[in-house]
Amino acid sequence: MEMRFEKSSFGKRLSSMLKVDFCRMFTTRFLYIMVGICLVMPILILVMTTMMDGSVTVDPQTGVETVMEGFDNTWQAIGTVSSETNPMAMGLTTMCNINMLYFFIAVLVGVFVADDFRSGYAKNIFTVRAKKTDYVISKTVTCFVGCALMFLGFFVGTVLGGAIAGLPFDTGSAGIAGVVMCMLSKLGMVAVFVGMDFAASAAAKGRTWMSIVISMVAAMLLYMMVPMITPLDSGIVNVIGCFVAGGIVCVGLGAVSNAILKKTSLV
Amino acid sequence: MNAIEIRGLSKSFRGLYAVDNLNMTVPVGAIYGFIGENGSGKSTTEKLICGHLVPDKGSIKLFDRPYTDAGVRVRVGALIENTGCFPNSSVWDNLMMQAINLGLSDRAGEIDRVLNIVRMEDSARIKFKSCSLGMKQRIGIAMALLGDSALLILDEPINGLDAEGMKMMREILVDITQQYGCTVLISSHILGELEKIATHYGIIRQGKMIQELSAKDLEGRAKVFTSVKTQHMQGAFGFLRQKFSDVRAEDGYIRIYDVDDTEGIVGLLMQNGFPVREIKKNKIGLEEYYIELMSKKEA
Repeated sequence: MEMRFEKSSFGKRLSSMLKVDFCRMFTTRFLYIMVGICLVMPILILVMTTMMDGSVTVDPQTGVETVMEGFDNTWQAIGTVSSETNPMAMGLTTMCNINMLYFFIAVLVGVFVADDFRSGYAKNIFTVRAKKTDYVISKTVTCFVGCALMFLGFFVGTVLGGAIAGLPFDTGSAGIAGVVMCMLSKLGMVAVFVGMDFAASAAAKGRTWMSIVISMVAAMLLYMMVPMITPLDSGIVNVIGCFVAGGIVCVGLGAVSNAILKKTSLV
Repeated sequence: MNAIEIRGLSKSFRGLYAVDNLNMTVPVGAIYGFIGENGSGKSTTEKLICGHLVPDKGSIKLFDRPYTDAGVRVRVGALIENTGCFPNSSVWDNLMMQAINLGLSDRAGEIDRVLNIVRMEDSARIKFKSCSLGMKQRIGIAMALLGDSALLILDEPINGLDAEGMKMMREILVDITQQYGCTVLISSHILGELEKIATHYGIIRQGKMIQELSAKDLEGRAKVFTSVKTQHMQGAFGFLRQKFSDVRAEDGYIRIYDVDDTEGIVGLLMQNGFPVREIKKNKIGLEEYYIELMSKKEA
């Protein structure tokens, strides 16, 4: 019996894989919950810290007074200008800002990828797909888009939170262009973290907890660098640098993820 | 051309060989019954064919091409262990996801076609988690059939099904091979059911293929025998042993092997004062053949 098998081009394979992944990401509640959290979080942070700004708490044992310092400016939730950036600072405004989301990426990527393996859906994918490259590229792109939406959600939440809390929107020396460039740089850094977290998820497969733990540890190592690389007064150099770094990490760790999927059992 | 051709395939887990130098040949268009006890390496072999596991050594060819060929793999469908469906999505949505994954153009039409084959046209909108076991198995087959599958690999698809479900599954599998020219590799412990549809068999033990044979070969090797019950079993047993070469007392019957002339036996027994209470013709089926083969290997 004569059997005919058509050649399956890389473009066709990647396009169908991307469609599946986007379909999955946008038809499950998880992405919307994550984006919702990212939208609400800055509103709560800005409103609550403004309400508590200047309030004094006294330690009953030592008698030491602590004055609560809130945000002076809405854009502090996005970043600080390079001259004021202190990566080692552990204050409320330096910790409770958009950079927290780099830890959230670990959760989004970890859950999204592990779900494929836990549900057994990965078997359906890999039975009809011999090339793991399609999967790696598609998942990286989809997770990047999902995480970018989380960052945009946080940005919108910051603007709303600032308006509700009555905080100034003074961009200072950064200017509007600086804020835009800062956000773009942060999106470039998202690619770095997505590449890293996907490699962890590919190694952990169905073990969501393992993927999240590995990603969180890796994120902690890079976390201190993020405010320095993506200050509020970022320029085009920062944006290009972050996207180039993101591209290198995604390609490099994508190759590692590809090798992991090729050389290890998928079930 | 063979649909599956495996040579010297091995896979070990922590030093223990689950599949050990296995050779296997599945002709195109066959329903290949893959038989073996629990842990004999059936599922591991199927996972290796589907690319879910990485072999230690050996070669796997599908339709004369390496099993990693993207063109051939897109026409392989599998149902191994579970369907891989998302429980909160509907049957339709799950199938749609796989149809997109396969890059099909007329996705809705294709889903209708496979739902029709597995007799589930009316259940497309039901959530997967609300489906019964039989329905889930049929959805798994529908998913495997999407996109003009040339090879179906089914791991225990009839386990846990009731008689009605088994019958329906049997009809579906026969339909698939006859109408769509699809080759089916099916593993099952329910040998009686497998015997009704399989055209070829592969018997695996401890990761090694111990025998491959066609249904015709099995037919040729299968023994016929006549089972008799009389009023004086002991006397009749002694008498028949003098007359025939292979007479055994089994399961409350006297069994005369390689003889199916019931009328002749009844006449002989009646003439010699052994009134017959029950007599029937039997044939050793796949199950008995398998058990006998296994016990020989054990010995």
